[in-house]
Amino acid sequence: MATDKHGLQKTTHSFQVRPRSFAAKFILIAVGALVLAFMTLGQKASNQNASCCGGDIAAARTIVDPKPVFNGIAVDASNNIVVMTDGNRKSLIIYSRTASVSGPTEETVPLRQIIGPETNIGFVAGVVVDPKSREVYAVNNDIEDTMLVMPYQAKGNVRPRRLLSVPHQAWGMALSPNHGLAVTVELHNGIVFYAPSANGIDAPLRHIQGPATGLADPHGIAWDDVHNEIAVANHGNFRGLLKNIGLGCVPAAPGDETEVGKFEPPSVTIYSAAAKDNARPSRKIQGPATKLDWPMGVVVDSVHNEIAVANNGDNSILIFRRTSTGDVAPVRAIRGAHTGINRPMGLAIDTKNDEIWVANFGDHTALAFGRGDEGDRRPKRVIRSAPAGTPSAGFGNPMAVAYDSKREEILAPN
Amino acid sequence: MANGNMKPRRIISGQTTQLGRTVHGLAYNPVHDEIIVPNPLSDAILVFRGSADGSEPPIRAIQGPCTRLITPHAVSFDVANQEILVASLTGKTIYVFPWNASGNVAPSRMIHGTNTKLGHIVGLGVDPTHNLLAVANSRDILIFNRTDNGDVAPHATIEGPRTGIEDEPWQLQVYRGKIFLAASNHLHQNLYAGCVPKGTYSKVPEDPWLNPNLGFVGVWDITDHGDVAPRFKIGGPFSGLLHPVGLAINPKEGEIYVSDSVRNGILAFLTPDFFEEKTQREVR
Repeated sequence: MATDKHGLQKTTHSFQVRPRSFAAKFILIAVGALVLAFMTLGQKASNQNASCCGGDIAAARTIVDPKPVFNGIAVDASNNIVVMTDGNRKSLIIYSRTASVSGPTEETVPLRQIIGPETNIGFVAGVVVDPKSREVYAVNNDIEDTMLVMPYQAKGNVRPRRLLSVPHQAWGMALSPNHGLAVTVELHNGIVFYAPSANGIDAPLRHIQGPATGLADPHGIAWDDVHNEIAVANHGNFRGLLKNIGLGCVPAAPGDETEVGKFEPPSVTIYSAAAKDNARPSRKIQGPATKLDWPMGVVVDSVHNEIAVANNGDNSILIFRRTSTGDVAPVRAIRGAHTGINRPMGLAIDTKNDEIWVANFGDHTALAFGRGDEGDRRPKRVIRSAPAGTPSAGFGNPMAVAYDSKREEILAPN
Repeated sequence: MANGNMKPRRIISGQTTQLGRTVHGLAYNPVHDEIIVPNPLSDAILVFRGSADGSEPPIRAIQGPCTRLITPHAVSFDVANQEILVASLTGKTIYVFPWNASGNVAPSRMIHGTNTKLGHIVGLGVDPTHNLLAVANSRDILIFNRTDNGDVAPHATIEGPRTGIEDEPWQLQVYRGKIFLAASNHLHQNLYAGCVPKGTYSKVPEDPWLNPNLGFVGVWDITDHGDVAPRFKIGGPFSGLLHPVGLAINPKEGEIYVSDSVRNGILAFLTPDFFEEKTQREVR
């Protein structure tokens, strides 16, 4: 049986030891970015099950999803694989590009899963592949602060070929094999650029950061080598910089308003691939017509001159013209009950096979659509890490908990 | 018994909520039935209806230069005094706002400065009986007078090897003079200052969640001071706790709810003894 990074069995019951007959009514709310999870129970806990004075006691109940939940996604059409990051069980999973399932109770069998304490895979988010070197790059979001590189053939509990320190709260990643590696940093509203071979504590070659950049809680990023541009999906949370603590209500100097935290509309910003420092975007897609709502993954299709966005907030994929700017409507959208899109995170495009892939965080699936699909279309293929209908607790590194005594609910943020 | 994998009953999410995807604090106001959530990435505190669901926007937001909020990371609610407490990691500051604060308002009080010993602060909780404030700090628990303001030294400190608290104690709750702490003992080493390396490290640190010194849930009296072992403790291989971070309590049912980032889940422990006002079974 596979084990997680601490060598514990990856089963729901791996740390549920005591059977219990109760059922306190329990609800978990999910606050925050994604889903949250929760559970129900049955009757109330009886004190017969209680333990005096604590110690090494078993939990009475647990809320854990034992199955992989996909976050980032990358496709390599030349080697016929699709790779997903799994922040839930902390793994990388490689599937055949053409894999699918024949029925709703079936799980897709992966080619390989990379999992275990040696891997350094944690709350992993963005992923890219290099078909030439046959390597997978994946970045940990919070709090490992590392990016790791694995060979395609890696399997199980193996050390990464390279392990690079990156800034805290890195999320998205883009690769230009000839030019570099770009990583978005949520907390610092920045993008850091490294050599593709960066390793260890190698420093970034440059970064984009500053009030003119339009970066605000950046997530997905894509590198368009054809047009020498970079596209970034921004949630719009702008964090003030460390300044003016205790100086009062009025900004101390001209321009200090940029030091104040604020909410901006979500956006997709485009930069020259050579941009650095406080560079302005060359284009910005932003405004109510765009329908952007927690944009996560972003891809650039330089063949068809389009930009696609995984729109997490309304369970859709939005497609814009590559050269669009301003408050523009998407040229088309994949959205609706038949699509199976459920809190989409990662996005990948395969122009060779004319497909677009999306990784769902809301269930245990990744979906392949026709690149030009539109509306409430069913996916061409589905990859499942659990039988259809398997609930997902939806946790994404729950760092806090609260108890709602009125509703007897547990609340958890992501 | 629940099978351990449940869908949430409600999800508050989407652009209109103004939530970020990095939320490390959460509190519930039972008096006014409100959920309080920090958004560190926009320097804001959001307040939702207790029954909020879907893409529902907050009913109030505290944000702006007057608030002086810098990356607010954690929140707590003082029921007795109807105040919101906020911890800022990067600002090394504790802010206090009235429960109904809204918009660009100044905090009622701030604890900040070199005398405070505030460092990596996360958990906060008030004991209204003793009029004390407990703060989970870098490697200790700091106790302040509840109404402290400015650059004040803590009234007491719970720290030392007997406490078992190592790096980054996380969320805490206070109930009837007892501090309930998720002592995470994970060591996060940040090699960067913003997007630039600090240049103070020679190699990539170990994964913080692989710290072999596992975390635990510890309970102290708020009047404890010094190198004091927890009066109650949950931890060890049978508990399933690796590096617990979130902690909430349900005194009515005698339960403690703990989130663990390594498990990526929540565990419920049934420990009614922990909540008794006077107990003869404390396990020092």
